[in-house]
Amino acid sequence: MAEKVKLFVNGQEVEVESGKNLIDAIGAIGIEIPHLCYHPALGADGNCRLCLVGIEDGRPPLVPACKTRVAEGMKVQLDTGKIKKIQQDIMEFELINHPIDCPVCDQAGECKLQDYYMRYDAQPSRMTVKQVLKSKKLDFGCGVVHDQERCVLCARCVRFTRLITKTGELGIVNRTDYARVEIFPGRPLNNRYALNVVDLCPVGAMTSQDFRFKQRVWFLTKSPSICHGCSKGCNIFIDHNREKYKDDIIYRFRPRHNEKVNGYFMCDDGRMTYKLENDNRLLGAMIDKRETGFNEAVEAVRRELSQAAKTVILVSPNASLEQMYALQQFAGTINAQVSGFSDGYIKNGDGDDFLIQDDKSANRATFHLLGIDDTRAGFDTAVAGADLLLSFDNDLSLSLPQTDLDQLLGQVKLITVGSRQNDFVTKASIKLPVASFSEDSGSIINCDGRLQRYDAAVIKNEPMPSMIAAINMLGGGIVSHQEAREGLQANVPKLKDIDLDQVPGDGIALTENEVAHVAA
Amino acid sequence: MQVKVLSAKFDIPDANTLEVAKKHGAYATLDKIFAMQPEEVTEIVKESGLRGRGGAGFPTGLKWTFLPKDTDKPVYLAVNSDESEPATFKDRYILVRDPHLLIEGIIICCYAIRSHAAYIYIRGEYTSQVKVLQAAIDEAYAAGYLGESVAGFDFQLDVTVHRGAGAYICGEETALLESVEGKKGQPRSKPPFPAVEGLYGCPTIINNVQSISSLPFILANGAAAYKAYGTEKSAGTHLFGISGLVKKPGMYELPFGLPILDVLEQVAGGLRDNRTLKGIIPGGSSTPVLTAEEAKTVTLDYESMAAHGTMFGSGGIVVLDDTVDIVKLVENLIHFYHHESCGQCTPCREGLGWMLKIVQKILNYEGTMADIDLLLELCDNIEMKTVCVLSAACTMSTRSYLNKFRSEFEAYIAHSASKHATM
Repeated sequence: MAEKVKLFVNGQEVEVESGKNLIDAIGAIGIEIPHLCYHPALGADGNCRLCLVGIEDGRPPLVPACKTRVAEGMKVQLDTGKIKKIQQDIMEFELINHPIDCPVCDQAGECKLQDYYMRYDAQPSRMTVKQVLKSKKLDFGCGVVHDQERCVLCARCVRFTRLITKTGELGIVNRTDYARVEIFPGRPLNNRYALNVVDLCPVGAMTSQDFRFKQRVWFLTKSPSICHGCSKGCNIFIDHNREKYKDDIIYRFRPRHNEKVNGYFMCDDGRMTYKLENDNRLLGAMIDKRETGFNEAVEAVRRELSQAAKTVILVSPNASLEQMYALQQFAGTINAQVSGFSDGYIKNGDGDDFLIQDDKSANRATFHLLGIDDTRAGFDTAVAGADLLLSFDNDLSLSLPQTDLDQLLGQVKLITVGSRQNDFVTKASIKLPVASFSEDSGSIINCDGRLQRYDAAVIKNEPMPSMIAAINMLGGGIVSHQEAREGLQANVPKLKDIDLDQVPGDGIALTENEVAHVAA
Repeated sequence: MQVKVLSAKFDIPDANTLEVAKKHGAYATLDKIFAMQPEEVTEIVKESGLRGRGGAGFPTGLKWTFLPKDTDKPVYLAVNSDESEPATFKDRYILVRDPHLLIEGIIICCYAIRSHAAYIYIRGEYTSQVKVLQAAIDEAYAAGYLGESVAGFDFQLDVTVHRGAGAYICGEETALLESVEGKKGQPRSKPPFPAVEGLYGCPTIINNVQSISSLPFILANGAAAYKAYGTEKSAGTHLFGISGLVKKPGMYELPFGLPILDVLEQVAGGLRDNRTLKGIIPGGSSTPVLTAEEAKTVTLDYESMAAHGTMFGSGGIVVLDDTVDIVKLVENLIHFYHHESCGQCTPCREGLGWMLKIVQKILNYEGTMADIDLLLELCDNIEMKTVCVLSAACTMSTRSYLNKFRSEFEAYIAHSASKHATM
């Protein structure tokens, strides 16, 4: 536990974490100090002047809260007339040259200027002279669109490219109220995390080409989840909305803060994986390219299973812990071999030292936890002599060369259970659609051995059965996620002491837990 | 009234060359200071009462003592030669007429603060001045006054001239450091102060050219000799730049404490065309204006200026007579500070532009009485809410004009009211 210090805010004694600045420390106990330029991941810059507070201890009369560390006994004034006046004045200055184009601004609804105006200003404009005009809808590259007139020059975006990506594409040119954020001529944003500047921007100056004008943010339901784009497992918000007469559609992924995994950020590739949840989905069961009812297809699969001499179950490295466990149990009942072969999901050399991993699957770590073999050799042994291949959302075409795949498909009958369409699924004689991760719950273990839990975010108009339900219908025996978790806890020693129903928001480090377990 | 302490060699032809300068005593203090401990040098400077000549008037010797005592980092000296404050033109005389005085001062200061690297940050527009200065530095290197062994003593010192790119804000000491480091010239938040964490994160002393150039006299003649000039709290002499509507504008070295009106009459030759005095800007454009009435009791020193609600500043005196349009003057003033705002802090970035446009509105006969009060309120709303005091330089002076010459603003507004009434 972090050390605590006692201090006074507006005369009230409060206890906060030591070592932090006033914004973070006091903010953690629910007292807001308005700020635009400060961001915990980018540090204090002190340019917006909105967080000026008074400290009663002989310091200069005003200090920026972002640059002031909490100290025992400190007396912080936030509610004095003087401080309130400053907040109001700064907001007035921020807004005099702002276009106030909220009705057409994508940030409306999640804009710090709007929020702070309502909370700290709420005065009519006194601006009777001409505003400063700047450039609008500038293409900054990587899908980032910049509006200089909306910009408050907080420099978060500039600092992001300097401190986090270390690519430095952005800078502030010019002085005074002609100052503006710019790219160097002909040198647009060029890094794999560029869209984070859209999240970082406290106002509507940085917008995403992909998202802008698609939805008003107040219509969006913001559901916490985990990105499945790679094995990092960045924490995200799934922002989705069901418009009248339409289905529940995901409009964007946004990073969700988890200091233990992704901090405040996520990569652009991962961010765009929301499209996989919307598009190219398998929406109905099929037998030999003929649409059919789900139950009819299940019966067909059961028939195939009973007739098969040797069945191989191919698991996706994106399947959840619960799904993998259910499949293992299922394989046991039908005496099938299980393989997690999915080399094609790994793009060697694609990862970096920040968030992006080589392994583009979300849960390979569970293969190792449950002893599921994912080697080519293991797969080849498993399929030798097999006549039925049951693939659970594993796109084998990524991992097997075309000739090997053709040869295999000549030998076995292919049945797929999965959430999306692809060339490999097309080759299946029976296809069973199931829910994707955004519509399902589950646990996954990331590349650093951190177990994280996600819950269903999206409920489709015509929901697909969960993979666990589908497995059960095929004869698996595990009825629910709950039952899978109980089974995991009972049978997997490393999970023995973990309450899979109560995974904390920032996950559990399995490796640490293991060590603790051994030591005990 | 005039004295020759700093300006002793200013009128000697070719005093910028080492040969002439040496003939007239340049570098004569070095034997003396290297025989002392650095702390003794600092003590003499403290005793002399020398205050920073950049405008703030902070005691120079005291500033040096803020350096951390035990540091394993290098200590730097930054000489502020950015001299960009409107109406200020004193340092350029030193740079051109007696650059070796500055170099000698740098050696003294660096020895006292145990620094082996000094940067002279020179205003970008000083293109001819930088040539003279650099030539003097080159000569000093060649003659062994700079380099591995200063004047043969066991003391290494390198002096580098760093040219600014023409931004007023780079005269602010931390913006100056940013600029030397190759970054955009924006002031840093303090603390940490430069004496603890300055250039490249190392302890740094930043002194004005005139402050540094005062050192050779003090070390050569002793603190008492320097204190013999001036007043108790404003010791020594100052290079005053007198401009405006006087008969003999120019740079004059004067001791502190003289009545400003006497100086005006006897040194600057009085007002042109026998006009009447309207006001005096006492120390550069950022200092609050004095009315003709106030000027009667003002003397040229830190205390008297403070007592009259203004500041001594940089010694750049601007004399305003009855032909001066105060509203136009204020527009000119705000235009400058708006243009020079680094744009970092919200109140300064946005507020000065707003103030400028309001004054322009008044000048265009479109103002209202409420605009005057709005201007005054904006001065309050901007002032001291920013990282540095650039905005305060604008608001303190603007406020003084609004308060002391409000009727001139009202006249414009009354005119605009009648203009609109007849339309």
